[in-house]
Amino acid sequence: MNPSARPPSRSVSCADPEAWKRANPGSAAFELHEAGVVFSRTSALADANLVVNPGESLALVGPSGAGKTTLLRLLNASQKPTTGSVCVDYRRLDELTPAELRGVRARIGFVHQDLALVPSLRVLSNVIAGGMGRMGFWASARAMTFPRRAQVERAAAILERVGIGEKLYQRTDSLSGGQRQRVALARALYQEPSALLLDEPVSSVDPARARDVVELVTEISRERGITLLVSLHDIELARAFFPRLVGLRGGRIVFDRETQATSPADLNALYSLEGLERVEPGLRA
Amino acid sequence: MSPNAAPRRPFPLSPRWRVVLTIAAAGVVAWLALDAPLAMLVPQEGGWRIVRAFFARALTPALDYESDVPADTPPILWQALAAARRTLVFAVAAMSVALAGGIVLGFLSTTTWWATELAGGAGPVRRALARTIGPAAWSVARVVIVVMRSVHELLWAVLFLAAFGLNTAGAVAAIAMPYAGTLAKIFSEMVEEAPRDAAYALRDAGAGPLQVFCFGLVPRALPDLCAYAFYRFECAVRSAAVLGFFGFPTLGYAIAQSFENLHYGEVWTYLYALVLLVVAIELWSGALRRRFVA
Repeated sequence: MNPSARPPSRSVSCADPEAWKRANPGSAAFELHEAGVVFSRTSALADANLVVNPGESLALVGPSGAGKTTLLRLLNASQKPTTGSVCVDYRRLDELTPAELRGVRARIGFVHQDLALVPSLRVLSNVIAGGMGRMGFWASARAMTFPRRAQVERAAAILERVGIGEKLYQRTDSLSGGQRQRVALARALYQEPSALLLDEPVSSVDPARARDVVELVTEISRERGITLLVSLHDIELARAFFPRLVGLRGGRIVFDRETQATSPADLNALYSLEGLERVEPGLRA
Repeated sequence: MSPNAAPRRPFPLSPRWRVVLTIAAAGVVAWLALDAPLAMLVPQEGGWRIVRAFFARALTPALDYESDVPADTPPILWQALAAARRTLVFAVAAMSVALAGGIVLGFLSTTTWWATELAGGAGPVRRALARTIGPAAWSVARVVIVVMRSVHELLWAVLFLAAFGLNTAGAVAAIAMPYAGTLAKIFSEMVEEAPRDAAYALRDAGAGPLQVFCFGLVPRALPDLCAYAFYRFECAVRSAAVLGFFGFPTLGYAIAQSFENLHYGEVWTYLYALVLLVVAIELWSGALRRRFVA
């Protein structure tokens, strides 16, 4: 393991949930222990150790193919680790039943890089779809066709908060890329999540909007006191908005420190070409 | 192999050329096997007379009957309108059954409702579904669909005529059977091929497998599903008209009768009624599609 990685003293054991629950009822904690993911003999992530405390806000930085998306998917229980273990709220995910896993996912808002909205539906329906993890089948069928007033009002309030309140009844495919991204964010917020995971949120918008989006999600997660993890390839944006940076390269965590403590050498290690050759080629996703 | 050398083709012809040549060869072989020179499409002397007589009336369809009819017979335009209405009613009745059957069979014949990929974690029930129940239901549905589709609606009509006599319900069932099969096949393929991003997003937000299927996958395919259902509705109108040749009171019945009596003007009147009906449906479905799914 890289010596510059976060020292294990900050880590919280998977087996110690009580103190945390009392202190942080509404925000999620994550822990990766020696976690690795192999896709048909290609390693996407190897030996990842990471502790994220409730309410923390951090950015995953690194070039594309570094394993940022895989790491986020591990935390959201949408990807099983090939090796090692993943804990969410101090519970090992591999010990949970499918129903409990659904419960974990329902509390984690994940904004996909490609947004993954249904373009032919209204914005309202796309946002309300975020609540499905807590609804039964018939309740969600009703919510998607004839939503209750309370659901519409909650969706409207969230859209207002992300700055597109007037788009409630528009078809999603009539919106611009930046507006659609806010719909995807609103869908995640409709889950009333204890953590927000955003995968490359600035890849689908122009640079001027990118800053706004990152600012918006950091504000919202602070307001709600929820844990925030954002993967970014733009290191300047990450330094400007996040107190903690985790650098990935070639499927490995190469540094994990407070933003002020990162050195130019850390960042060079992420992006310099000569370093790239030192990383085993098989480890690049 | 050095990284710069382009990989060599194993066969002199590229796969694309092989496909094109195979299709062309199949066409040539079929024509030779049939021994059907295109000259046979030119009518004989007597044939020419009928062709001329028939097409001479194309621009002057009959506005009145071409022979004496009983005094209480309604005017021909009214007759054409009534036959068009009956044709439409037959088609709507057949499509309502076909749609219900197509949706149920189409659902059963996709792999997406039992595959664990969209379920996000597999308990004992899901595993049983994915290993035995799902594949079994899928196979049965596929076989049923093939049987329904492989017999044309006219053959079903012959069969039902023999079984039930000249029976309206039999005619509707004759159209509904193959249409339900075709709708099921195409619906299931469209759902299988729909983009899965929204489905994965719902799964990652904790939605259950049925929710993922109904609200993540199906909405992505819905514009295509609607467009195809409308197209089949048009086909059902034409099929209903053709069933008239068996004696059902649709446009085909009127066409057959006038044709037998060599009343070509009347034939054109009824043909135009059919064309107008199809065009009206096309305009209507186009307007709906633009409004809801385009």
